[in-house]
This record gives sequence, structure tokens and C-alpha cells, in this order.
Amino acid sequence: MANTKEIQSRIKSVKSTQKVTKAMEMVAASKMRKAIEAVLKTRTYANLSWGTVLNLSNAVNNNGQLHPLLAKKEKIKRVGIVLISSNRGLCGGYNVNIINKVHKSIQKHHHKGKLSEVEADFILLGKKGAAVNTYFNYNIAAEFPKLDAINELREVVPVAKMVIQDYLSGKYDKVMVAFTDFVSASKQIPRIKQLLPVDIESDKEELGIVGGDTRVGIDKNLVSEKQDKYLSGSPSVDAELENYRYNYIFEPNAKEVLDEMVPRLVEVQLYQALLESNASEHSARMQAMHKANDAAKDLVDELTLYFNKTRQASITAEIAEISAGANALR
Amino acid sequence: MPKKTIKFEIVTPERVVLKETITQVTVPTRAGEITVLPKHIPLVSILKPGVIEVKKEDDTLEVMSVSGGFIEVLRDKVVVLADTAERAEEIDVDRAEEARKRAEETKKNIIHKDDVRFADLSAKIEVELARTKAVKRWKKIKNI
Repeated sequence: MANTKEIQSRIKSVKSTQKVTKAMEMVAASKMRKAIEAVLKTRTYANLSWGTVLNLSNAVNNNGQLHPLLAKKEKIKRVGIVLISSNRGLCGGYNVNIINKVHKSIQKHHHKGKLSEVEADFILLGKKGAAVNTYFNYNIAAEFPKLDAINELREVVPVAKMVIQDYLSGKYDKVMVAFTDFVSASKQIPRIKQLLPVDIESDKEELGIVGGDTRVGIDKNLVSEKQDKYLSGSPSVDAELENYRYNYIFEPNAKEVLDEMVPRLVEVQLYQALLESNASEHSARMQAMHKANDAAKDLVDELTLYFNKTRQASITAEIAEISAGANALR
Repeated sequence: MPKKTIKFEIVTPERVVLKETITQVTVPTRAGEITVLPKHIPLVSILKPGVIEVKKEDDTLEVMSVSGGFIEVLRDKVVVLADTAERAEEIDVDRAEEARKRAEETKKNIIHKDDVRFADLSAKIEVELARTKAVKRWKKIKNI
């Protein structure tokens, strides 16, 4: 039986670890609250701007011209993936989940027919994303530093600029963003969304509208509602709207407006993805730390029981020895 | 006959600044200031820094400063996607004025050196000017 001193020092070390995990849990909880707030604030803007671009692209479509950022490319050879991960570990399966998801979806592409020449380049946001290179040997095109507290759109502008430039120059035929969708404090889903070309068909899948948690006040119907009301001639809408919908005026002109608006939308979408990921990261960390805390508690209980047993055993042994000695002297 | 109204919404990436039913709105677009009334033709335009004036259903006016963004006009709905926007009563006029002066001062000093910074500062001056203007306009309306 191990001696009591050894057990005692183990209990001590577990307890100090518990303190660390407890503190981290609380820090993560408060950061998560802020992150959720930020997500909610941006959602309205993201949804509305998406709705606007949706309207626009439909209107412009009818004139036969398409903005280069809205036009689909025929053959996809090279895909750029913006991977949003955390800077630090100790957040459970957060990074692993998103990286595996990306890996799987790339492999799926490879299996689909003869598309094996599709190449993927990674643009990393967050240090932990580097694992895609070390484990799966993917190419990393760029790495951007990610701040822990994100509260300004400005921080994603360089990333957005880079992907837009690379897309326009033809380096990538498609740009995706891999992020973790924040559904609720206990549920986060890794997702991959198409960023460029801005896909007007995927309106129900876009970033701003996510999850089903009422706590974060999601309006899933926003875009489809708008579409019904303003874009499709549904019976509930009067006939006047019918000829009304395609006659958009652009001031100063369509090209200039879209030139400003689409990159802005890409920025907002990226920003939203970043905020979602951030909220997810903190809640994942909070969960992981909560579990670690519980595990430490269990371990301390177990060790204490063992310690008590060992101590009692040694006392019993001592008494037995003494009484045996006394008996021998008699 | 009921008054014709517009559902008006102005949002920034940070928050919803105002969501109201209104009867008319004046916005500074890049091509000049426009006023939107109900049943306006669908329009999309780029905003420049300036003052947005909204007339509510009860004929009271609401004044806001905006630093740029977009406006989308639909039949009975106007959406302003602003980069930043503030309601006049939220703006501290002295600080706005100060910020503008500071920016102008810095601009004078770097005039020949750095184009990017120069442009940045010019934009900032414009925004601060818009904020000051919004407050002045608001005060005039309220007769303060």
C-alpha cells in the first residue's frame, strides 16, 4: 500500500489543478456572454445586408450581366478555405471538430468523380488551425493573427480583401469559410459555408441565420419572408408589386453599387463567422473546463477515501504491532 | 384616409439604431441628398457621411448622423445599412467638434507625407463634421 504522504501530495496537486480549471471556466463563461452579445448585435445587419444583395442579384440577373463576385465559375480547380480556429487549446473538441469537418469535406470532393485535382489552400485565423498542415499536409496560403476579443468589423477586412483579390485574379475558383456555428451554450456545430462566389441559391444556408435557440433570438424567416414579399409574386402581394420588383434604380449605377456592396457583404459574413466561432470557442472551453472540474472533484474524493483507508490501515498495523510487543513481554 | 407610411430600419454591424414607421426620410447619398416618400421606386444607393432626417408618423423629426453605408428602398420599406450611425441626442457635440479639430490638425502636419493616412483623416473629418451637423440640425428643430 502506497504511503500516506504520497497520496496527500497527489490530492494537493489535483486540487490546485482544479483551481485552475475552475478559474478558466469562469473566465470562459464571462467571455462567452460578451461573445454572444456581439453575435446577436451583428445578426440583424448580416441578415439585412444579405437580403439586400439577394434582391440586387436577382434584379441584376435579369439584365443579363452579373457581378464577377456573384458569377459562378464553370470548373473548380482550386479552393481557398478560411479556417477559423482558436488560438489556445483546452477547449475540448472545438478545434478537432472543425478541422476534421474540413478534412472530410475535402475528401468527399476528391471522391466525387474525377475531381481529384481539386486543390485546397488554407487561410488561417487562429493559431490552432496550423494542424491542417501538420496532420493532413494541406497547403497554408496565409495565417492571420486572431485577437481574443473581437468587436470591430475592421479586424476581418484584410482577410476579406485578400480572398476577394485572389478570387478575382483567378487564384481560387471558390472560397469557403470553415467556422463553428453557435447554436447554444451547449451546442456548437462545425460548418463550412461558401463565401465566394456569393451564392444566391443558398439563401437559407447563409451565415446570419443559424440555429434554433430562442435565447439568441434568431429570425430564420427573415430572408425567405423578404423574398416572398418583394421578389416572388405570391398571391398575398398585390399586382402592383409584380412589375415593381425588377425596376431597381442604382445610384450612381449598378456596377458601382455592387462593387461596394458585395465586398462589404463578404466582410460582414466573415465577421459573423468569426463572431460565431468566438462564441462557440468560449462555450466549448467553458464546457471542457466544467467537465475537467467535475473530474478533478471525483478524483479528489476517490483519493481522499484511499488516503483515509491507508491511514487507518497503518494505524491498525501500528496498534497490532504494539499490542503484539506488549503481549510478548508479559 | 390613413396616412401612407414606410417601415424604416437603420442598422450598423453593432446594433439597430432605429426601427420605426415613418412618413418620410432624407438621406445623403453619394449622388446628392435625396428624400424618400412612401411608394418610392425601388432604389439602391451608396451613402456618404452626413445627416439622416426622419419624419415619424406623428410629424416629429428624428436626426441621425451616418458615416457611410447603403440604402435600399423598397415599396413600403427603407433599409439603411450604415457603417456607423448615431442618433443626434446621443452625440456629444463638444467631443465631436474636438475630434474633428484634432483630425484637421494632424492632417495639416502630414499633408505631404502619407497618402493613405491623409485619406483616412479626411474621411474622419467628414464623419465628425456629419456628427456635428446632425446635432446642430437637431437642436434647431427642438429649439434648444
